[in-house]
Amino acid sequence: MKKKLATLLVLFLSTVLVLSACGSKSTTNDDKMAGGTNASTDAGATKSTKSGDPVTVRFNMGDGEITKDQIKEFEAANPNIKIQREDVDATKLAAQLATGEAPDIIRMTGVNDLPSYVIRGIAMDLTSRIETSTLIKMDDFTPAVNVYRFDGKVQGKGPIYGIPKDFSPDFTIWVNKKLFEAAGVPVPSQTEPLTYNQLFELAKKLTIVKDGKVIQYGLSGGRGEADLPFLMDYLLSKGVKLSSDDNSKIDFTKPEVKEALQFWVDGVKGNYGPNVVNQDKTAWGGEPFLADKLAMFQSGYWFSGLLRSDEKAKTHLDDYIMIPAPIAEGGKRVSPTGSATGAIINSATKHPDETWKVYEWFFGGKPAEDRAKSGWGVPAYKHLLPMLPQATAFDKQTFTVLQDELKYSGEFIEMNPYLINGNTLLQKQLTPVYFGKATLDSAMAALTNDANRIIQESKDAVPSS
Amino acid sequence: MNTPALSATVKEKSTTRKGLSEKTRRTTAFYLMISPWFIVFLIFGLYPLLYGLYLSFTNFVGFNINNLKIVGFKNYVNVFQDSDAMYSLGRTLYVSIIYVPISTAIGLLLALLLNRKIRGVGIYRTIFYLPSIVPVVSIGLMFRFLYADQDGILNNILKFLHLPTVNWLDYDHATFSLIIMMLWGAGAGILINLAGLKGISKDLYEAASIDGASTFRQFMRITAPLMTPVIFFNVIMGIINALQIYIQPILLTGTKLLDSPIRPNYFYTVHAFQQIFAYQRYAYGMALLWIMFIVILMMTIIVFTTSKYWVYYETDQEG
Repeated sequence: MKKKLATLLVLFLSTVLVLSACGSKSTTNDDKMAGGTNASTDAGATKSTKSGDPVTVRFNMGDGEITKDQIKEFEAANPNIKIQREDVDATKLAAQLATGEAPDIIRMTGVNDLPSYVIRGIAMDLTSRIETSTLIKMDDFTPAVNVYRFDGKVQGKGPIYGIPKDFSPDFTIWVNKKLFEAAGVPVPSQTEPLTYNQLFELAKKLTIVKDGKVIQYGLSGGRGEADLPFLMDYLLSKGVKLSSDDNSKIDFTKPEVKEALQFWVDGVKGNYGPNVVNQDKTAWGGEPFLADKLAMFQSGYWFSGLLRSDEKAKTHLDDYIMIPAPIAEGGKRVSPTGSATGAIINSATKHPDETWKVYEWFFGGKPAEDRAKSGWGVPAYKHLLPMLPQATAFDKQTFTVLQDELKYSGEFIEMNPYLINGNTLLQKQLTPVYFGKATLDSAMAALTNDANRIIQESKDAVPSS
Repeated sequence: MNTPALSATVKEKSTTRKGLSEKTRRTTAFYLMISPWFIVFLIFGLYPLLYGLYLSFTNFVGFNINNLKIVGFKNYVNVFQDSDAMYSLGRTLYVSIIYVPISTAIGLLLALLLNRKIRGVGIYRTIFYLPSIVPVVSIGLMFRFLYADQDGILNNILKFLHLPTVNWLDYDHATFSLIIMMLWGAGAGILINLAGLKGISKDLYEAASIDGASTFRQFMRITAPLMTPVIFFNVIMGIINALQIYIQPILLTGTKLLDSPIRPNYFYTVHAFQQIFAYQRYAYGMALLWIMFIVILMMTIIVFTTSKYWVYYETDQEG
C-alpha cells in the first residue's frame, strides 16, 4: 500500500514539474504585456502574410453595429483583408485577454474600460495613426472623444487609444408628457436642468401605487436603482473626486456619496422604478417607458433611435421629449457621457496595419456616416452632427436639447483604472441596504474596503506602477 | 459442441501469446481500454487543474501572465480573511445540508411510486423526469415569473384567494424559494433509483409476504437496506452538486452572469466566479476553488467513512 502511494506521489510530482517547466518556457518566450501573442502563432501569421493569403482581422462588434453588407463592401475594396465579426461578452473577453486569444479590435466603453485597458497594456496608442489618417481628423472630434485619451492618471488627457462609434450625454431625462398630464404634474424645462432633489421629488409624485401594485413608475435608469455611472455623474457635478491622484486608493465613505445614493435607496423603497425589491419582471427601465408605464427614464440621446423604431412608441412620438441632464444641488452643470461605446486595437494584434485599415474605415468612413444618419447616437465628428435626424417635431426637439447638452459634455465621470467592474461591487453592497438589512454607512465602508483590495492587487501586478 | 476443436483453438491462442502472463495481458488490455479517456483527461482535465493550482500561488490578475510573481500561500490566507468568502461558504453548506437529504428522499420516493405496476406509469415517469432535462436557464426564468412580487403567478393566486402576498425573492424568502426551485429537478435521481429497485430480487418480497411482513416492514427490511448503495451514490453526487450551486441564484434575481444574487443566495461558487470574471482576480479565484475542492473532498471522505455503518452491500467489498 505504502509502495503504491509513493509511486503515485512521484508520478504526481513529476507531472507538476513537467507542467511548471512548460509554463516557464512560455513566459520567457515573450515578455509582452497581455492580450498576448506567442511565438508559435506569430510564426503562423508571418507565413500567412508571406503566402499572400488575405489577412483576417477579428472584429469584436455587435451584429447590429456592423452589418454583413458593410463587411462585404469593405472586403470588396480590400481583397487582402477579411473581417471576422465576433460577439464577445465581458466574461469571454476576460478569459480571452487572460489567454492571449482576444480579437484584434475590441469593443468597449470608453468611460468604464479605457483606462484599465491602457494600464494593462492591452490598448494600442493610436495617436500617430490618427494624426496621419486621411479619413479621421483630430480637430474634427467632438469633445467627448477625448474620453479615449489617458495619460496614465487622468482620463481625457494624453495619447488617444480609441474612438467611440457614437456616444450620448447619457444622463438626460426622457419624459412621457401624457403621464405627467395625467398626474397633473407640470412638464419640466427643456433648457434648464433639474437638480437631482427636484428630479426625485417629481419621481415620487409620478409614482402611482394602487392596492400594493405599481400602476405607474416615476423614474428609472437602467434599473430603478443606483449604479456607478449615476453616482459618478452626481459627484462630477459636485466637484468631488473619490480616488487619490495616483489612483492607488478610493474612498466611498465621503458624505457626497451617501447623499447621492440615498436618492435611490428612497427610490427603491418608494417603488419609483423596477428594482430588486419589487422584482418587476422587466429587464431594464426602457421597457416600462416604451410601454407608457414609466414617466421619466434617465438615458442618453441614443434612446431616440429606439423610440423611433419601436412599433408602439413610434406611433405617438410627440408624447416624448428629452430634457437636460440633472445636476447636484449647488453643483455645476455637467452632461457627461456615461459609456461612449467604441473600440480599441489590441496591442498584441499580429496585423497592426490591416487592423488599422479596418478600424479607420469603420470609425471614420462610410459606416460612421450611416450611424450618424440613423440617430442612434451622437457621432464622434463635428462634421457629421448635422446628419442627425431633424425631420419631425420629435427629431427637432431632441436635436435642440442635444446641442445644448453637448456644451457640457467635455468633462468625464471618474473611473478608477485599477477597479474593474466597480459597478458590480456597488450593486452587491447596496442590495442589503435596499432591503433594510444594512445601512448606507456600513455598505460604503465595505465597498471602500473591497475596492481598495482589488485596486491594490491590480496595481501591484503592473510592473511600472 | 465440438469440445476438442475448441480446446485446440484455445491451445493455439495460448501458444501465440506465449511469454505474456494472464495478469499482464489483462492489465495491458485495461490500460489500452482506458487510455483514450485517460489521455484526454491528462490534457484537458489534469493539466488545467494543476495549472490552476500553480496560478493560485501567484499574483495573476488577468494581464500579467508574463510577469507572474510567486506569492506563496497569500491567496489562501486571504480566503480565510475574506468575509464574503466565509459568508458564502456558510450559506452554501447551509443550503446543501437542507437540499441534499430532501432531494435524495424525493428522488427515492418518486422512484418507489413509479416502480409500481400502475396504468400509464411510463407517462408519469416521463413527467417526473422531465424537469431534470429542462435547461437551467429556462427553469430560472420560469421560477422568476412564478416568484415575481409584481404580477408574479404565485402572488396573483394569493391575491385571487384574498390572501396576503409574499415577496418570494426578498431576504427572508429567497433561499427557501431557491431550494424549492432546485427540488423541482429532484426527479433526476429517478433513473438510478429505479435501476436500483429493479435490481432487488422479487423472491425476497415474496418470502417476506409469505411470512406476513407488512409493506412498511418490507420497505424497512428489504428495500431500504438494499438501496443504500444507490442512496450513498446519490448523497455523494448531491453534495458535490449542492456545493457547486452557481447559476440558479443568479437566474432568480439577476439579468447578467456577473450580477450578484441577493445576499442570502450569495454562494461560494458565485463569489469565486465574480472574483475571477468581474474583478479579474484569477489567482485568488483559483485559491477559492481549490479550497472548495478540499471542502468537497473532506465531506466526501466523511460520507465514505460513515458509509460502513449504513451502506449495505450484498457482496463482500475488497479493501
